[in-house]
Amino acid sequence: MMRVLQNLFQLDDPDSVGTKIQLRAFEFFAVIYTLIYTWEWAFYIPRLSDVVLPLGLANYLDISIFFSNDISIYNAVLISLFTLVPLLLKRVRWLYAIAFVLFHLQHVARFSQGEIPHSANLVAFSLMGLGLAALFFKGMKKELSFAFGFTLFFFGLGYTSAAISKLVATGVTWVDGYHLWLWMGEKSIDILSLQGEFQYNWLQELAFNSRFLATLILSFGLITELLGFTIWFKKLRPYIVIMLIGMHVGIDLTMNIFFKTFTIQLIIMGFFWNRYINVIPGIEALNEHPLVKKILLY
Amino acid sequence: MWTLLINILLVATHLGEFWPFSIFPMFSQAGKEWSRGVVEQVEDSSRADLWETKSISEIENRILPLKDYGIHEIDFANFITKTKVWNEKRLNGMRSTFQIDQYPGEMWLATRVRGYMDERDSVVIEAIPMFLFTADTTIKNPHLFPEP
Repeated sequence: MMRVLQNLFQLDDPDSVGTKIQLRAFEFFAVIYTLIYTWEWAFYIPRLSDVVLPLGLANYLDISIFFSNDISIYNAVLISLFTLVPLLLKRVRWLYAIAFVLFHLQHVARFSQGEIPHSANLVAFSLMGLGLAALFFKGMKKELSFAFGFTLFFFGLGYTSAAISKLVATGVTWVDGYHLWLWMGEKSIDILSLQGEFQYNWLQELAFNSRFLATLILSFGLITELLGFTIWFKKLRPYIVIMLIGMHVGIDLTMNIFFKTFTIQLIIMGFFWNRYINVIPGIEALNEHPLVKKILLY
Repeated sequence: MWTLLINILLVATHLGEFWPFSIFPMFSQAGKEWSRGVVEQVEDSSRADLWETKSISEIENRILPLKDYGIHEIDFANFITKTKVWNEKRLNGMRSTFQIDQYPGEMWLATRVRGYMDERDSVVIEAIPMFLFTADTTIKNPHLFPEP
């Protein structure tokens, strides 16, 4: 257990410019994507009229109060304030915790129509991590290290639990290529519905022609997800991240679902950018540069 | 450790989902028949096969691109596949999502799409018309919703 905690929360050379840049890149990413999702949902929610499937706090609150009015826009304004102030001023960082709760409400209002998407989950975990860190730790160094490790923990847990869900619900036969054929057909209808037209690509055609290839694609996906928890260990992290990114590219090519946010976050968090940045000659001078220190670093 | 405990408690008591806590069950049930949705653009509502179930290939050149109308395709698919009782509130909910009142002259056929493997191990995809929406009326498929 201690080994996992050290691998998750202890960063190499915590006072170096490289580590500060990587951690702040993680924080900027979390805030930017929180705002992208928040505003995208804010303009869609007023069009909704009925709750088909309540999620999260919508099980306990009447989330339809967000519909047919501008509450989602006001909520988006609050989320923007409560994330941009701590990000840019590096003060009142506990506002992240409130922003997380409001972001949750925005999500359950938007996704009350039956769909349970997971694309914003890790952004939400990042925001939650930043909020918890501000409540329980003092100082940017500790706060950001905690939020970073906290998010990595849920990355590993999420992927591995997804694989376990598949093994529990279907068993090892989940990897049978027939199943990929069915899913490719299903996703083709979503694209047809969205764009009014659809054509299978080269990989989909190949997979339809070879059950063996389709089985191989699913097997790679299942094994990669199952190994997701290895992201908790520094030595294995870059390798599993490459496999996970490969899996997401495969999902995009076969099922037309691209987990863009997950992929960008994996790239930011899954490699040792701090080490690569630290070998740049003269980089440490940034640590003393007043403007850089004020806005980008800490 | 306590975060993990909260995660387990929340997902265990909320059918695996308390966003962002989740067991990530997407695509876990393999090989099952699926249902989605498309909207067919109709030019002649007196067409003989209008309400017949047909292969998706027969209508794929008449599908309304939902992105051009600001409608989320997954929301629409969920709405049409997960609704069990089509009461007036639900039908009005779909009309409101479509905002078809703003498109006089248009006729949109909300269609459920069903996919499954047949005995020859081929994927079969068929379209089941459900409701015809115009700017001022909603007509239910008489085969699925017979008049009492």
